[in-house]
Amino acid sequence: MTPGIIEISPWQLLLCLGFVLLAGGASVYHKLGLGRDLLVGTVRTFAQLFLMGYVLTFIFETHTSWLVLLMFTFMVAAAVHIIKGRVKEHSVPFLIPTFVSMLISYSLVSYIVTAVIVGAKPWWTPQYFIPLAGMIVGNSMTAISIALERLFSDLKARRNEVEMRLALGADYREASQDILRNAIKAGMIPSINSLMAVGLVSLPGMMTGQILSGTDPLIAIRYQIVVMLMLVASTALGAIIVTGLVRRRCFSDAQRLIVR
Amino acid sequence: MSLTLDRVTFAYPDGPTVLENASLTFEAGSFVLVRGPSGAGKSTVLRLLCQLEEPQSGRILFRGHPVDTMVPAELRRAVSYVQQMPTLLTGTVRENLLLPFSFKANGALTPPTDEKLNAQLVSFLLQDVSLDSRGDNLSVGQSQRICLIRSLLLKPEVVLLDEPTASLDAASAKIVLDKAAELSGKGMTVIMISHSEVTPKGVTHEVRINDHTLAYA
Repeated sequence: MTPGIIEISPWQLLLCLGFVLLAGGASVYHKLGLGRDLLVGTVRTFAQLFLMGYVLTFIFETHTSWLVLLMFTFMVAAAVHIIKGRVKEHSVPFLIPTFVSMLISYSLVSYIVTAVIVGAKPWWTPQYFIPLAGMIVGNSMTAISIALERLFSDLKARRNEVEMRLALGADYREASQDILRNAIKAGMIPSINSLMAVGLVSLPGMMTGQILSGTDPLIAIRYQIVVMLMLVASTALGAIIVTGLVRRRCFSDAQRLIVR
Repeated sequence: MSLTLDRVTFAYPDGPTVLENASLTFEAGSFVLVRGPSGAGKSTVLRLLCQLEEPQSGRILFRGHPVDTMVPAELRRAVSYVQQMPTLLTGTVRENLLLPFSFKANGALTPPTDEKLNAQLVSFLLQDVSLDSRGDNLSVGQSQRICLIRSLLLKPEVVLLDEPTASLDAASAKIVLDKAAELSGKGMTVIMISHSEVTPKGVTHEVRINDHTLAYA
């Protein structure tokens, strides 16, 4: 047992199933029909987190850079898969540009955070790199799916305006500059809003985790500030690069709007 | 200046076939009325001519050259498409009229002076509209004429009018139709979609869309 941490025993973990039973009871009583989802969700939570726990233990113990980077690539791929599910437009292929730009830009941001700001040695030290990169990928995933959804829906809703500009000689950039701007903004707003609310409305997960594991709150908040600011940068970077690349694919070489 | 559809086949993705092996030449300087049942693909023909749609097979030729080998902005400056629903941006009438001159591809063109713009407004019986008034406060009839002026400022050789009078009152419709006849009289090719049974004055040819093909009536 690590000093300063109260370990949760398997029995205590089983006791937590009481919470699920409570929610399940409410579902039965109100005929919500959520019983199956609750069951599957609970099993998945146990399975996925235990698996992650063992994978992380393995990566921490082996301590090799390629394994850390493989894990990072896997996280990005999983994020792209989730974006694919959230964005309801499939006439424009956006998965590969999204994957490539997320992989490149977020490895850069993660590197800067671990190597320059936190000063971890080596920079890929899994204990720092994986949770920090994970937060970057997770938050940017939300930003990118909001931005892409907005880009596609505006291109469809404002098709007349886009084609009016094209018909008058605009290229695809000129025809869609307002739409691109709005999409990027929509993607960035949640992370900017969280800058306002942090510490007042919510105690962020990472800070809570550090405090629970015995870290001095004044150290935990410094990490949290780094995280908040890096998330603003990475959501901006992600939204700008991905919408820029995907917008190009919404138009043909003949400057014709493809999305319908 | 002729525009030719050469064995053009077109269908919207997951949609029915609109044109199948359709061939037709629009002669330079003609005033052509395109007729056909609703949904037959009249608008699609105009959109194909300015490359807002791309045929699945066949070619579209402008002055004998395939349009897909031309620079899109150059083609669209020469073959100007005016949408059925007039689209103006928030901003003044002047800003709306000068919009095309803000695009890179039109950078070599000199934007018209206020004097020239006012003369255009007068010739479309819009003398009551000020260049400083807001574009989004105009009636549909006025907006449609502003859109037409905006296209004509680029001095096109062909103008494609997609039911320009569909949502206009009789007086505005007459102004637009008279203007179309006047432009064609000056040598411009005018290709216009019409729902109305009445044939406007100045029309030189009528084209019908039937069974996915085009033919002169």
